[in-house]
Order: sequence, then C-alpha cells, then structure tokens
Amino acid sequence: MALLSDDIVQNVKEMLADMPREGTLTVFTDDQDCEYCEQILQLVDEVAATTDRVRVEKFEIHKNADEAAAMNISRAPAIAITGEEDYGLRFYGIPSGYEFSTLLHGIHAASQGTSDLDGQVKDFLDGLSKPVDFKVFVTPTCPYCPRAAVLAMEMAIESKLVHANVIESAEFPELASQYNVMGVPLSVINDTERVEGAAPPQMIVDAVRKAIAT
Amino acid sequence: MFDFKLTPETPKKEHKSDLYDVIIIGGGPAGLTTAISTARDGMETLVLDRESTGGLAATTDIIENYPGFPEGINGMDLMDRFRRQAERFGTEITEFEEVSEVRPIKEGLIEVETDTEQVYRGKTVVIATGSRPKKLNIPGEDEYYGKGVSYCATCDGPLFRGKDVIIIGAGNSGLQEGLPVLDYANKVTFLEFLPSSRAEQILQDRVKAHAKSTLLFNQRVVEIEGEQTVTGVVSIDRETGERQVFPADGVFIYVGYSPYTAFVKDLVDLNQWDYIKTDQHMRTKIPGLYAIGDVRADNPAQMTVSVGDGTKAALDIREFIQEL
Ligand SMILES: Cc1cc2nc3c(=O)[nH]c(=O)nc-3n(C[C@H](O)[C@H](O)[C@H](O)COP(=O)(O)OP(=O)(O)OC[C@H]3O[C@@H](n4cnc5c(N)ncnc54)[C@H](O)[C@@H]3O)c2cc1C
Repeated sequence: MALLSDDIVQNVKEMLADMPREGTLTVFTDDQDCEYCEQILQLVDEVAATTDRVRVEKFEIHKNADEAAAMNISRAPAIAITGEEDYGLRFYGIPSGYEFSTLLHGIHAASQGTSDLDGQVKDFLDGLSKPVDFKVFVTPTCPYCPRAAVLAMEMAIESKLVHANVIESAEFPELASQYNVMGVPLSVINDTERVEGAAPPQMIVDAVRKAIAT
Repeated sequence: MFDFKLTPETPKKEHKSDLYDVIIIGGGPAGLTTAISTARDGMETLVLDRESTGGLAATTDIIENYPGFPEGINGMDLMDRFRRQAERFGTEITEFEEVSEVRPIKEGLIEVETDTEQVYRGKTVVIATGSRPKKLNIPGEDEYYGKGVSYCATCDGPLFRGKDVIIIGAGNSGLQEGLPVLDYANKVTFLEFLPSSRAEQILQDRVKAHAKSTLLFNQRVVEIEGEQTVTGVVSIDRETGERQVFPADGVFIYVGYSPYTAFVKDLVDLNQWDYIKTDQHMRTKIPGLYAIGDVRADNPAQMTVSVGDGTKAALDIREFIQEL
C-alpha cells in the first residue's frame, strides 16, 4: 500500500515541479537493526515517482561502508540530500509527519543551490572561516520543527563550511539523551551552542558566532 | 501508521504598500479569518506574527469541534488551510516580527512598530495576539525548561516514550494534550488544583478509561525537582496537607493562558485580567483599532468564536474605510 495519499502526491508534484536541476536522495539503511528502513525506502521511491528530477540511490551502511564514509554517514537510517553538489544536508530517521516537509524543502533547495535567506545572513555565511556543524533535533509531531531544520539546511547550501544534520529524536534515543534533548526543535551548533525553538535566522547567526569563537 | 504533512516555506518579505487598508497583529485563527475576508474584499492586508502563523491552534494535536471536519483535524493542518486561503486572496504575511508599539496618528492612520524597528502604516489595525500559556512560577520551572519541562505535549511528548510523565492541569487543554502521550509514555499522572476537572466530559472519560493514567485532584504543585534534567514534581494535597514527590522524566504544564496585551495597555481598555474590551463590532475605543479572538474580554477561547470575531471585524472595517 502506498504511504503517500493521492492528495499529498498531488501537492508534492506541484512543489517539486520547478526544481531547476536534478536532486538525489541517497538512503543508507541498516540490515541488522532498523525499525523503519523499509518504509524509508518506499517513501523515497514514492517521492521520486512524482517527478523526473529526483533520483534515488540505496546503500546498506555495513555492506557499503565506503560509500557511507564518503558521505560522512555513521548511523542509519540516514538520507543524504544532494543537488549538483553535496551541500552537507542529512536527515536521520524517517521523515514522516511534519518532517516530510523538511525532506521536500531540502531536496528543492539542494536542486536550486541557493536559498531565500536574506542578504545579511548570506554575507555572514560568506565570511565564515571555520566549519559549522548543525544537529537539529526534531520529532514528526512538532509543527515548528521544519522551520529550524530548513533554516540549517539553507545555511548549509549557502556555505561549504556549514553542515546540516536533522535528527528524528525518537528514532535515535541514544543521541537524544547524549545531547539531553527534552524539547524540540533544538539546534546544537558545533556541539556547544544550543538554541531551543524555531528561532529567527538572526538568532541562529548569533549562536553560530558564539560557537566558532570558542 | 505514518502520516505525511506539507507546510509552507517561510514567506518572502516584500512589502507592497506604504499604507495598508488593514494591518493584523497575530496570525492565529482570528487574525487569518479577518485577512481572508478583507483581502478577498480587495483590501490591502498585512498579517504580522511574532512566530510562525497558526497561533495556539497550531500546537494542538487534534481539533474535534471545528465544523466541517467530521473526523477531527490536526491543528497545524487546519491552520495551514486558513493561511493558504488568506494568501490566495493576496494577504501579505510577515513572520518572526513582534509588534512592540501601536500609535494612532489620526483617523485613518495608525502606525505599527515592530521589535526590528520596522514601521508599518495602516488605515485600520486589528489586534489578534491571542494568549500564551501561563507559567506556574514555582521553583524549577524555568531552570528545567527544555530539560523536561514543556508547554507543548504535541511537540515534545514523543521524547518521553516509555517514560513517566506528569501533566499539571486537568482542564480541557491538559486532558486533550495528555491523551496522545498516554499512547507511548509508561505512565501519565494528571495533577489538578481544583477538586474536580472542568474539562469536557468526553475528555475526562477517555483519560479515565486509559490503563496508564492517574488523575489526582486538590494538588498544589510547589516545585519541580531535578538534577541535570527533571526528576519529579513536589505537590501538596490541599485536603490533607500531605506533601508528596511524584517521580517523573517529563512535566507538561497546562494551567491556563494569559493575553498578549502589554504593548497596548495604555491605549485600549483592559478588563481585570488584561483582556481587551470591545463593543459588539470588535471596536476598541480608538477608531480603526479592533481586537478579536482570545485576546478579547469575555471570550471562551474557542476556534469558532475566534473565527466569528474575525469576520465581524472585517465587516466593520469595510464600512469604516468606505467612510474615510
Ligand atoms: C492545547 C490546546 C488545545 C485546544 N483545542 C481546541 C479545540 O479542540 N477546539 C477549539 O475550538 N479551540 C481549541 N483551543 C483554543 C484555540 O486554539 C484558541 O481559541 C485559538 O487559537 C485562538 O485564536 P486567536 O487567533 O485569538 O489567538 P492565537 O491562536 O493565540 O494566535 C495569536 C497569534 O498572535 C501572535 N502574536 C502574539 N503577540 C504578538 C505580537 N506582539 N506581535 C505579533 N504577533 C503576535 C502569536 O504568535 C500567535 O500566532 C485549544 C488551545 C490549546 C492551547
């Protein structure tokens, strides 16, 4: 049975219709221990079927350890979202609920290779000289989470030094507890700065500034 | 088992007008309803929101009493529809801008200033800022916010799978938001200050029927305890005076709401609880300045009432502008 309803398929079609270039969803599954891997594979196939612009690649994290290492992926299930380049967009877990939006905005933005961020934020990102790693913790039922996740992804698209990892907290309880995630969205920058909630871009920029100063 | 949702991207900031017909402060159900009507009527309409649009309604898992959705509808879904309907008729929406001041200049001109020092000018202005969750103001509440204390069970509930959760407040919001948590938490204890719940009977019945729920009344919660994160809640039984610690990993607070009116308190009449007084056409005492939805005095905090308020204001605005 299809995961996406006819209504949603129609909306996805409309949303992805103006992708200027091809985008790729590279899925890493885990044969040994993975609750929703089958559903993730089915989901990306259903998304790809709505347009000729989305390609899907599938790997098993242990059998294809080289590919995983090349994409800097050490946990499954994971989806690398790439366009003409790899901008460092990663989604860990199944992008269901509101996180389905994050996946689609991610692939659309990766295909464009540019973001809608405003000039000031872009200038700041242009001037970066140190790497910035985002871990954005989300849950599928959190309506504010896609905002935080998409913002990190847009920043990653604007700067080669920024990487955006979006993590479905309920599927990665050990990461969630390591980072003490008890409210979402939570953006952790370079493992040091924490921003709770769907913060406006300027607030995230301030947190990035602090994170790279330490 | 899974569902998949689409939310709009952040709208772009392009301000089309020097003088809007209508500026709406707050993009919850009330504000967006006014926008649907005024924009459809051809009036230049701007909605400003300090967060994303959708308001409180967007934070609830399911709304079952909004007509037209016999199976109920997820709050965010419903609010997406409101917003798309407003945008379809040309409403401009700007998010993450908090209005800090409203300045009536003369009849037909009111200025609205935001925390980013943007000034917008409108012929009319509608205050639809709703309310925010009340805090308990007890020790531990701020300290453990985001570390087990939360005001949104829909958002943060899934982080407490298999854990023990306490919900403070067993009114409509507490019970309604606690129900989905019962499905995955180990145990959910509801602590209510009053001797009984004022929630709808159907919600009370559903909670009571659940094997993992405990509902306790006459509880005055005095402290939230924790180490790194929340470990429990201290409560005093108001009947027996007994002090008890309820161990928990997560605490959700649903003890009522207070209105967002500080920024207009010197401008309009407020009631004793700081809600804005209006006449039956939603007019405040300042011509061209309206208040609608949960922020308005004597409103029962229901979607359908907010929506009704929004329409009433739109109708009056049309007449007001025609007469300018
Ligand atoms: C958990 C929960 C469950 C509920 N369930 C139901 C239900 O089942 N049925 C029902 O009928 N009702 C329900 N309600 C009530 C319903 O959500 C509210 O009545 C409704 O949202 C009120 O709409 P509003 O537009 O007046 O205000 P709100 O929805 O509160 O929207 C106000 C908006 O104004 C913005 N804002 C505030 N201050 C400013 C400022 N200074 N500048 C710019 N923007 C600002 C806020 O960010 C917000 O988006 C529920 C509420 C909650 C919390």
